[in-house]
Amino acid sequence: MNWLGFFSLGSAWLALLLVPLVLVYFLKLRRPRQSVSSLALWYQVINDQRVNSPFQRFKRNLLLLLQVLVLVCLVLAAMQPFLPRASVRAQYQPILIDCSASMGALDAPGGERRLDAAKKQVLTIVDNLLPDQRVSLVAFGSTARRLTDFTDNKTILKDALAKLDVVPVPSHTVDALRMTQALAHTVPIERVLMVTDGNVPADADFELPFDLVYQQIPPGGTNLGITAFNARRSAADQWEVFVGVEGSETASQASGKLELFRDGVSVGTEPVLLVPGHTKRVVFRLESPAASSLEARLTPDGFDSLDSDNSAYLQLPKSRPLSVFVPSEMTSFRRAIRVQKGIELVDEAAARSGTVFDVVVSNRPEDVKLEGSAALFVGFVPKDLAKLVSIGKGSIDVVDWERSSPLLAHVVLSEVTGVEQPKVAEGVRDGDFEKLGYTVLASGRTGPLLLERRIGARVEYYLLFDVDRSTLPFRVGFPILAANLLEIGRLQAGLAEVRGSRTGVLPPLQLKPKTTYRVAGPQGSAVDVVTSESGVLNGVSALAIGQYRVTEGGAEAAHVGVSLLDSMETSLVAVKQLRFKEDQEVAATNDRIDADRPLWPTFALAGLGVLLVEWWYFQRRPGGWPST
Amino acid sequence: MADEAVKQFTTLLDNSILGRLERMRIASRRRLTNRAHGEHLSGKGGTSIEFSDFRDYVAGDDLRFVDWNIFSRLNRPYVKQYRYEEQMCIVIIIDASASMAFDGKFQRACQLAGAFALMGLFSLEPVSIYACGPSGSEPALCPPCTGRVNRGRVFTFLEGLKASGDSSIESAVEAVLRRHRGRGMAIVLSDFLTFGALGRPFNLLFSAGLEVCAIQILSPAEIDPELTGDLRFVDSETDQMLDISNVGELLSVYHDRRRELERELDEHCRRRRGRFLTTRSDDPIEWLLFDRLRRQGWVR
Repeated sequence: MNWLGFFSLGSAWLALLLVPLVLVYFLKLRRPRQSVSSLALWYQVINDQRVNSPFQRFKRNLLLLLQVLVLVCLVLAAMQPFLPRASVRAQYQPILIDCSASMGALDAPGGERRLDAAKKQVLTIVDNLLPDQRVSLVAFGSTARRLTDFTDNKTILKDALAKLDVVPVPSHTVDALRMTQALAHTVPIERVLMVTDGNVPADADFELPFDLVYQQIPPGGTNLGITAFNARRSAADQWEVFVGVEGSETASQASGKLELFRDGVSVGTEPVLLVPGHTKRVVFRLESPAASSLEARLTPDGFDSLDSDNSAYLQLPKSRPLSVFVPSEMTSFRRAIRVQKGIELVDEAAARSGTVFDVVVSNRPEDVKLEGSAALFVGFVPKDLAKLVSIGKGSIDVVDWERSSPLLAHVVLSEVTGVEQPKVAEGVRDGDFEKLGYTVLASGRTGPLLLERRIGARVEYYLLFDVDRSTLPFRVGFPILAANLLEIGRLQAGLAEVRGSRTGVLPPLQLKPKTTYRVAGPQGSAVDVVTSESGVLNGVSALAIGQYRVTEGGAEAAHVGVSLLDSMETSLVAVKQLRFKEDQEVAATNDRIDADRPLWPTFALAGLGVLLVEWWYFQRRPGGWPST
Repeated sequence: MADEAVKQFTTLLDNSILGRLERMRIASRRRLTNRAHGEHLSGKGGTSIEFSDFRDYVAGDDLRFVDWNIFSRLNRPYVKQYRYEEQMCIVIIIDASASMAFDGKFQRACQLAGAFALMGLFSLEPVSIYACGPSGSEPALCPPCTGRVNRGRVFTFLEGLKASGDSSIESAVEAVLRRHRGRGMAIVLSDFLTFGALGRPFNLLFSAGLEVCAIQILSPAEIDPELTGDLRFVDSETDQMLDISNVGELLSVYHDRRRELERELDEHCRRRRGRFLTTRSDDPIEWLLFDRLRRQGWVR
């Protein structure tokens, strides 16, 4: 049975110091001479003591015995013994710590956060690190970040743990696992420890190259939170605001109060009574012609383990008609769009004056430069695709189309025909279009008919055949296609529906191109960001729940609120088993983390204790302690 | 002051102490006397002025001892008996080994010897003093002498004694009994810190017709030693060495052994109808002679 291990067994040679110790003790021991009248009594004392105490021989040389004990303790400490607890002792041990929103949940009223419980377990490992062991701490939420390199410096590890805090974002394990996989290229990693409350996606698109220990902290207690917050325009100036409220698995008949604020003023209150396993959907109806900021606040009755999901934010845009540019010669499109409500249809004159449109529909290549959040170009091939596809003569023969595309929803292209036929060059595949950022939405027999491309917040569609020279305007699907395009334009402009933004990264904002903006977060953080050439501000980290203000020279340019809005995090559900590629499965364990326990501090303390006992024993008052 | 120092009879005891001692007598527990006439009343009947008992008259009794008053009342003759006063030898044995040279133990032994001798001389008892020093050599002897005229002789002898040698109590008693004759009292002054059995010397004294009176004289360092650490003890008599570690831890055992020795000596003496006393060498001599010894019935 391997009940005790030694990391530095070579230090056992230090035990040879016992020899000089004993030699020096006896050579250096010089007793003071004490003349006495007779030794008769003292001989009796010695004999009596030897009879009464079997250890008297040792007591006679107690000083030597204590010195030997001190040396033995120090030699044992130098040998660095440890109690093997773990079945496999990993030299390099990555520890993945979940710091997503659910780790901020309390286990009971006044209890500790799940992250704090996880920290305690990790601290146990750090405290019991053996000299040849290195630990790297990786925190993960929606993304992963490496807190420390592989190190045995407990101060660094403890500092990193102390600084680690809950980030109100959903958890995703794949990033952390990929980061660990990358680390495995530099050091041999046999086992990875993941400490989490189990509120992680059960399926991960990752093939495990190492053993994963899925250490599960007990999940938090009862929770009630907002998981959805969006609004849909119901009339010209009217909005329907939807708030979804969900509870944790353990929440039975949870209740609370949901209150909606517009620009800080309460505009509605609804009681919430939640049945386990169901989502409560609360609808508020608002009349809001101007842009406004909405906040939903949930006040649960009784104990609520997670606070971060009790508020959500939403920005309602100013009510206005959708601005659509269509050249005057595209009569079919103008006719189909004109009949739609809430539309401002403009022609070439407005386009030339540099107006920003919501939707651009054009058959002229030069109109590609027109600004608009959605655009449909008809009858020509974009310049960057000129080498891949060309338009020739021939009959259109639609083979297939992407029915899930918002533009082609409820549109049937099967019987459409025409006199222009797009043809791809020799050897060109769909992948070549994707490399250039295009997605083929509809394919003909000889080439793509409809392409989609996203540039920042703008979405562009390219119909590669002349609509007016095809049967499409005469099909039922044509007005539906036009309506879909307008709906896309409304969504792109935020006029039809707005959704609450989630924590992680701020949603892309359409602002002035190449302009520096300051983004101030809710916790006083601020960062300067330069917009892209197309005027899109994106990639701004938003890890705190609250309002983010985008300013340019002190003037507010945009205003975005982010919140958790994640039903998985709110549910606090603990996944019992993680599934990976190749049918790999890892079951959760609730056992305490096994870690080898180093014993050298114990032996060092024992040596110090013996030293103190020795000092006390020989410094106590003369005459010794009374025998009775 | 100078005149008073000159007038001191001996360096051992102050003149005032001597004066008080002259009026004191040794109280023996047993009547171990010699045939010679003396001041000590024997257990046997005899002629003295000390009445002892009555007994029936038998033919041949001296008519001078018939109590005629009783005869007149009872009309029966009774003879009065008187105690016989006999001589009691006082043998003082001083342990003059080197172990007695510590902390005034030998000085105290000489003082006590002088005190007992003075009381014996004034009781007209033959007093003899033996000082036992080196083993194998004959003890120094102050031969039996009687009467106050021998005071100077006794104190001169005592003042000339020195502690040396390694004589044991047993060998010392054997040496004394080889030379002494006569019943009486033996006063042994020693520290009794010696090897070997202590019963035999007391048996020898008892068999020789001597009442055993033992006084153990210990120094303060022997009664309450203040020692600690690792020490090498050197025997003052034999120069033997004994290494002891952590003496402080053993002091309680030492005290136990010392008290055990006292109990053993007391037991030996009591079994032989003798007496035993332990005293410190630094106890005041007046308190010891006139208070403690008197209260314990050693003297009267």
